[in-house]
Amino acid sequence: MSIATDAAQPLVSMRGISKKYANVVALSGVDMTLRSGEIVALVGDNGAGKSTLIKVLSGAVHPDSGEIDIEGKPIRITKPSDAQHLGIAAIYQDLALFNNLDASENVFAGREMIVRVFGIPFLRRKKMAQDAHRLLKRLGIITMSSANFKTGGLSGGQRQMIAVARALGMNSRVLVLDEPTAALGVRETGILLDLLRSLREEGLAMMLVTHRIPDAMLLANRIVVLKGGEVQGELNPQSCHLDDVIELIVRGRASSRTNNGS
Amino acid sequence: MTIKPDTVSAGQEQETIGQEQIGSSANWVRVWVRGLFSYRETGIVIALVVLFVYLCFASESFRSQFNLTVVAEQMAAIGIMATGQTLVIIAGAFDVSQAAVTGLSAMVIGIMWGHAGLNPILAIMIGLATGALAGAVNGILASRFKLHPIIMTLATSVIFVSLTYVITHGIPVIGLPPQLLWAGSALLGPIPVSTLIMLVVVALMQVLLTRTRYGLRVRQVGGNVEAARLIGVNVPLVLLGVFVISGFLSALGATIELGRVGNAIPTLGSTLLFPIITASILGGTLLSGGEGSMVGTVAGAAVLTIINNALVVLQVDPYAQGVVQGGLVVAALIVDQFRRRQLTFRDLIRTEL
Repeated sequence: MSIATDAAQPLVSMRGISKKYANVVALSGVDMTLRSGEIVALVGDNGAGKSTLIKVLSGAVHPDSGEIDIEGKPIRITKPSDAQHLGIAAIYQDLALFNNLDASENVFAGREMIVRVFGIPFLRRKKMAQDAHRLLKRLGIITMSSANFKTGGLSGGQRQMIAVARALGMNSRVLVLDEPTAALGVRETGILLDLLRSLREEGLAMMLVTHRIPDAMLLANRIVVLKGGEVQGELNPQSCHLDDVIELIVRGRASSRTNNGS
Repeated sequence: MTIKPDTVSAGQEQETIGQEQIGSSANWVRVWVRGLFSYRETGIVIALVVLFVYLCFASESFRSQFNLTVVAEQMAAIGIMATGQTLVIIAGAFDVSQAAVTGLSAMVIGIMWGHAGLNPILAIMIGLATGALAGAVNGILASRFKLHPIIMTLATSVIFVSLTYVITHGIPVIGLPPQLLWAGSALLGPIPVSTLIMLVVVALMQVLLTRTRYGLRVRQVGGNVEAARLIGVNVPLVLLGVFVISGFLSALGATIELGRVGNAIPTLGSTLLFPIITASILGGTLLSGGEGSMVGTVAGAAVLTIINNALVVLQVDPYAQGVVQGGLVVAALIVDQFRRRQLTFRDLIRTEL
């Protein structure tokens, strides 16, 4: 009995999330769930509230009202480090990488391995380079030469992978991705989508914001459409058409009745 | 990932040496040279060696042991303080109050010995603490109140200079005891103690920057302050640290200048700021923050001291020397710009995923 409910219980459940910036309503009473091994794509026009919603989950924005549960337990996220401790890692659109540092320094940023000599924390550079290399190799993109390379000189795809590797290195259960494919070419996008799929198979939960509806159709288990800070509807990419998603984004709830029935 | 040797920048080729046996020896040399130039210090170190060798051949008075000792002595305070400046610039800030801190610390040392009658060693300790404290004032203003570092330290430097005159009424402290002059004037054989102190400081600062967690924090804050905040770096504390270190090293520079000049005069160190910043930029410190090298900085200090010395030794018109000194800074700025362009050039030849 309890096992059955546990399996059905979402990993993350957000209820009644509202946020106003001055007089502008960014989110109004949004409900959202996310299960392990699931990718949810948030789509919507500019100003629909997608970014605000994922920032609430990652701790970058504090909502005016609403509750967040993780595994059924109510939690409070007031800053990014709170979210990180709960296993929620955010990968922002600008990636928040250090272009002046190399790949391993980026992968381990904020949780460096140290050894104390006379009480002074020294970096374990070799160990970090090896572990970062192993992690990046598992993600299947980076060769040894680029692991000690300044991140600013890497391609958009490699940078995105480093950001993912950093999030995974934190033993995250939930990945929050803001426009992960926006800066990538076709080939790089394909590699990233494959990576996200394999992470889903490992049981990670992912919430991603995207403007590229075809990517969402290819990748997501559910597509949630936002407009004016409200959820307009939820679509199953397997059983709906690209046009349905776009119509819901543009026209909102009024047009969605026929699709929701399926 | 496909790598065509022609399109990859130096850092990567360096790695490929071990992986593939490179056939022709010409190619090997090319790869080795490019690998060498992937270190940011290489350019300035080569410039230093070329300049030094040339002057040794060109001028008998330059290569005299007496003159070389003088050059080494002149370089010491500049080199020490420039490593502090480099750390501040890497953190994304700037400290133009260093020369003022040197004057203040020197006079505190002089007064503590001359007027308060303290033991010289204790006087030096208090002087070093004064420098660190002045740095802490800068650090608190820069981090807590988020003031523009150049203007803010310009203002504090006016305050520090003024305080120097308040405590001394402009009167020098003369007849300093040998203990106070030792650091700046003693010789170990032909090598000045001050130069050895500088080398120790450079080594410690290089280790701090590249091997310790604090050094990484400095590079993180200077590279991307928003990202640093996101990963939980205490940005104000890191900034406070770089300014305290800079202030402390300025006071250490004061102990050396005391010995070199021989008396505690209120204007001590007042001409050092320009050479310090020149040395830091010549050494490859990126003015926008995030990147720099202590070894490069001290090589920069050496180049600039040697050029200044050569101007005297080669009897260049003293009125014209400023042209060379100013021109050197312009050259250093061009090098800085070139480094930035190199970074974007590297972006252009991004390797395929």
